[in-house]
Amino acid sequence: MEQFYGYFLYLISLATMGGIYAILTLGLNIQWGFTGLFNVGIAGFFAIGAYVSAILTTAPSIRHLGGYQMPYAVSFIAAMLVSACIAWAVGKVCLRLRTDYLAIATIGIAEIFRLILKNETWATNGPRGVSMIPKPFETLPEPWNQLCFLALVILTVFVIYLALEVAHKSPWGRVMTAIRENEIAAKAAGKNVERFRMQGFIFGCMLMALAGAYTAHYLKFIDPNATEPLTTTFLVWVMLIVGGSANNRGAVLGAFAMWTVWSASEILASRLPDELAIRTAYIRIFLIGFVLQIFLQKYPKGFLSETRPHPRAARTPGYSEPE
Amino acid sequence: MKYLAKFSLAAAFSLASMTASAADIKVGSVAGVTGPIAELVAPILAGRNLAAEHVNAQGGLLQGDTMKMVVADSACDPKAGVDAGGKVVNIEQVVAIVGASCSGATNGMVQSVTIPAGVVSVSDSATAPSITDLKDNDLVYRVAPSDSYQGRALASHVLASGIKKVAVTYATDDYNAGLAEVFAREFKNMGGTVTANQAHEPKKASYRGELATLAKGGPEALALFAYYGSSGITIIRNSIENGLFGKFYAADGMFDKSVIEQIGADVLRGNIDISQSSSDYDDVSYKLFAAAISAKGVNPKAPYAAHGYDATFLMALAIEKAGSADRGKIAAALRSVSKGPGEVIRPGEWAKAKKLISEGKDVNYEGATGIVDFDENGDVSGIYGINTIGADGNWQTKLLK
Amino acid sequence: MIEFANFYLIPGILLGSIYALGAIGITLTFGILRFANFAHGESMTLGAYISFTLVQMTGLHPLMVMPISMVLTIVVLLFIDRYFYRPFRKSHAIMLVMASFGMMLMIRSVIQFFWGVQVKTILPGIQMPIVFFDTLRLSPKHIMIIISAIVLMLAVHFLLSRTKIGKAMRAMADSPELARLTGIDTEHVIRTTWVVGGALGVASGVFLAIDTHVETMMGFNLLLPMFASAILGGIGRPYGAMAGGLIIGLTEELSSYPWIGTEPLLNPGYKAGIAFIIMVGMLIWRPTGLFKGKV
Repeated sequence: MEQFYGYFLYLISLATMGGIYAILTLGLNIQWGFTGLFNVGIAGFFAIGAYVSAILTTAPSIRHLGGYQMPYAVSFIAAMLVSACIAWAVGKVCLRLRTDYLAIATIGIAEIFRLILKNETWATNGPRGVSMIPKPFETLPEPWNQLCFLALVILTVFVIYLALEVAHKSPWGRVMTAIRENEIAAKAAGKNVERFRMQGFIFGCMLMALAGAYTAHYLKFIDPNATEPLTTTFLVWVMLIVGGSANNRGAVLGAFAMWTVWSASEILASRLPDELAIRTAYIRIFLIGFVLQIFLQKYPKGFLSETRPHPRAARTPGYSEPE
Repeated sequence: MKYLAKFSLAAAFSLASMTASAADIKVGSVAGVTGPIAELVAPILAGRNLAAEHVNAQGGLLQGDTMKMVVADSACDPKAGVDAGGKVVNIEQVVAIVGASCSGATNGMVQSVTIPAGVVSVSDSATAPSITDLKDNDLVYRVAPSDSYQGRALASHVLASGIKKVAVTYATDDYNAGLAEVFAREFKNMGGTVTANQAHEPKKASYRGELATLAKGGPEALALFAYYGSSGITIIRNSIENGLFGKFYAADGMFDKSVIEQIGADVLRGNIDISQSSSDYDDVSYKLFAAAISAKGVNPKAPYAAHGYDATFLMALAIEKAGSADRGKIAAALRSVSKGPGEVIRPGEWAKAKKLISEGKDVNYEGATGIVDFDENGDVSGIYGINTIGADGNWQTKLLK
Repeated sequence: MIEFANFYLIPGILLGSIYALGAIGITLTFGILRFANFAHGESMTLGAYISFTLVQMTGLHPLMVMPISMVLTIVVLLFIDRYFYRPFRKSHAIMLVMASFGMMLMIRSVIQFFWGVQVKTILPGIQMPIVFFDTLRLSPKHIMIIISAIVLMLAVHFLLSRTKIGKAMRAMADSPELARLTGIDTEHVIRTTWVVGGALGVASGVFLAIDTHVETMMGFNLLLPMFASAILGGIGRPYGAMAGGLIIGLTEELSSYPWIGTEPLLNPGYKAGIAFIIMVGMLIWRPTGLFKGKV
């Protein structure tokens, strides 16, 4: 029974992190799936959200900026707004670029954010991180505190999912798809491509910041190591590709599935003898890369392929799906 | 749910004690197997496993149960630390945890998982002062002394060796940045002069420019806070090759044989002093540990290997003292086995400890790293050694008094 | 002034030539295969590790075993190209970028699995610099690295300007469609690109290892400055990549020179950010790069 209660608690934590990754993946899906923006700087926006929310809610500390003790609602919104402003500035500079240039530029920008977090010690406590971040519902008894936090995460995922589904089917979503598929045609149709792209980029980055904020409160601690690219950028990309880009359900599915694989594969590894267990840790990373390759080559659409938004009205004669 | 859980635990336990057959008692062994300090982890795990081996070879825990260390990777990342902690606590149902390694991973793991779950943890290498402040319900311990102590110890050693002006450089990671801050503050308070205090980004190919700037203002030595692999060796090499600094003071992130192998013993002899949260190498406790781990082919002076041993051995004593594999009782027993009153137990003396505890006597563990008495914050004061290069081209340690 | 040369200028040139050699490979794959190869840093790391093992086995100087490790690394690269990149020849470039992304993780974890994560030295000990004109300090190994880098760059120049395959590579970098129409064997050109890029990558990895040490993240840490160099020089422009590498290397080192007062101009903790700032600036003002590459 104790064992089952343990499994139950582990499932809660698995689902919580899975849900946080689902928010990240949905954010990336707006950018990559719907708008075609190759953002490899997820970790940067994640970090902004995490630190803004952490600093706004913690008690005063000699180690870092803080002591504002704002309510969570305020800090979450602030995290998203700060991220939106920075995303706007980054977008102004980078969105005109070809996709793989954008990849290089965003990965660079994320690294600069990390350098700032490490060096501006007065605000962030530098590499030592912000500790004792309050966690929503933490005063409730076990396991209700964890269940409530999970409910918050799942509810957020659900609301974002619904909003994105509506947006995807709306005229806005259709313009986005058009831009991704054929930018010139979209321009010719009189759409302000730059503006739509910017919107997609900003919305995506806001979701990434929200995921970062949730992570900071969930861990009750945040430091620059928590924003390293392997698990905050690359893993999210693998999740989206595996789940199916341009499909919101796919993004959520991919996030939960890959996080389960990532986290649970270690349970098997820890059953091995030590020397092997240490090395197996690297095989896990190898497998993540390999899964990505297999999906890219064999199932490029992921588990769930894209569902095209169709206008409700009858199609214009002569209109055909752009490929 | 919680009551149900407690009830079922009690039921399960009484069942187990009725049958009294040898079983596994799992203890989590959380360490940064991958990630930025991966190269330091193998000896630490060897230290932990050696302690478990000693326990199992000399009668095991409680009714002859096997102490089983369950490894989980905290990757030096709080996200991974929380995930790893959750897995060992909930899936593996460990009774207690040794780890995590890095301060960040430890901070996340204890706040988010082990304190709420009521699981006691002893870290063997988390040194961040912020861990002292945690509201931890007496569940978070560490045998690695807080950086505040080491920074002060090194500062007074530098002054004592006649150096009044130093330049300080530190890698921008949690461990070294914190240590450098304490060192610079203490050094000034003790009357020394810090001519420059400069961060550097680890893992760059060259630090010649940074060093040239640091060398200005007439410092007599460089106080170097870095991991040997990510920037420390490069900095020493660049300094010596360019004649910028000849004398170095460093902390235990630099303590590794590869520093000598890569730079050369003759160049460094007399020119480098590395403080280390260490052991009294003349102490009988340390010698017992050193002999045992050397037999495994592991360097007993590897950073935090002895701490890994002590953390694990203390945990075993606490389990024995608690008389059951009950998380709450283990937590309650941990502090009492770490300090007096009681008969002194040294590394490897499990059978003796087991006998004493079964007779209802108190024990006091004096480990490979020192007396390891937990204070009210779950910290130890620790002792420090200064490593220099001896005539044989190996590190030689002198205890700092 | 002499301090400036010894501690900022020469290290800058040294770092710059290491970046430059790596950036040539990046710019060639970018130009000819048309994707940003995120796994290029890892092939440098692999080359350095193979050289390390060869040095351990034979006891020879790293430069002597470098050709063998080049060959071995190139074999690996061609294998990877055949099974992981070739299926995407006709797809959108992004698929290749992602494939190289996954490859980066795979190569690195294989290296970590086989060699472990301990830092290793390829050339132990200290080499005291030779002092010229009483003041200028040059370490023999640095002279060696800079000379070897120049030789390799001249070889690239010869290959691109004098040989048939080199001209085909340039043609393909300029316009793949046109190149195909004129009957250039594109697969052959692609293989040659891996050979040239791989060999130069191994060289830069080994040079870095000689200057510092061998470590599993060494290639990844160089990846972003090398991208910056390639973009700065203009994509598909090998000469541009050389110039870009030198400029980035120099700027990184010079950024912490105390130009004003006695404090470094820029906190050295931010040194790694310099390459990106140059890169982003370049992408805004002149995305074709100094040598008019492709956008």
